[in-house]
Amino acid sequence: MNSDPHQWINEHGDYLYRYAISRLHNEEQAADLLQETLLAAWKGHSSFTGQSSIRTWLVGILKHKIIDHIRKEIRNRNLAESVENDPTSAYFKSNGSWSDTPQAWKENPEELCRNEQFKSVLDTCLGKLPEKQKAVFRLRDILGEETDVVCKSCDITPTHLHVLLHRARLGLRKCLELHWFGQGEKR
Amino acid sequence: MKHACRHATRLASDSIDRKLSLWERLRFHLHLAMCGNCRNCDHTLRLIRRTTELMRETRYGQIKLTDSQRERLHAAINSNNQS
Repeated sequence: MNSDPHQWINEHGDYLYRYAISRLHNEEQAADLLQETLLAAWKGHSSFTGQSSIRTWLVGILKHKIIDHIRKEIRNRNLAESVENDPTSAYFKSNGSWSDTPQAWKENPEELCRNEQFKSVLDTCLGKLPEKQKAVFRLRDILGEETDVVCKSCDITPTHLHVLLHRARLGLRKCLELHWFGQGEKR
Repeated sequence: MKHACRHATRLASDSIDRKLSLWERLRFHLHLAMCGNCRNCDHTLRLIRRTTELMRETRYGQIKLTDSQRERLHAAINSNNQS
């Protein structure tokens, strides 16, 4: 196999960088993790079996670095989130019906995903979520990880994951409705 | 049907991550048929999910390493080489 890391940078550097930045939304972190990935790959390149392409192999390493990175963020902040304190309470009356009525959003994902302004509002709203909700949402919906990977990364059960994702998504929905979709009409 | 809407939004979120049971699906869709608020909420949750999915695929399609980032990577490899 081609084991010249300089050539990896030339051939796959842009691709890997795009991969990292599309998941981290942060240029500096993306470049740092890319560097760690290349160094780790180079150290471990004898373990590369050649069953996949070099690019696939490098992406696999990068993906682990990204998950590790988010995992460390979770640990560093020592997250305690009480189950009793359910933030979705704010959206419902005590009988479980809506206290705040969700509007119909008319925009479509194909346009939204290219809209820089929307991206920055989404980042702001994501930033307002409690840490643990933010972490699982990033892993599951921004990175697109499978649920079992998210559970393992965060040391939580599938049920806890569903609770956290429900809270995170309703929180984001509310925040985006306030700051982005505000003018939508009811269906 | 206590906690109906709150529970329906939970099922809307769960349906993104796992296959709902037959009973859950039945209950969920019956509720949506009757409740415009939950239909709106279900729609927006799926819209957000789809948007983040498309962001992964398209948003950064044109982006490249800058020359200085690229140099830094080569330098990192080189300095690791010597140690």
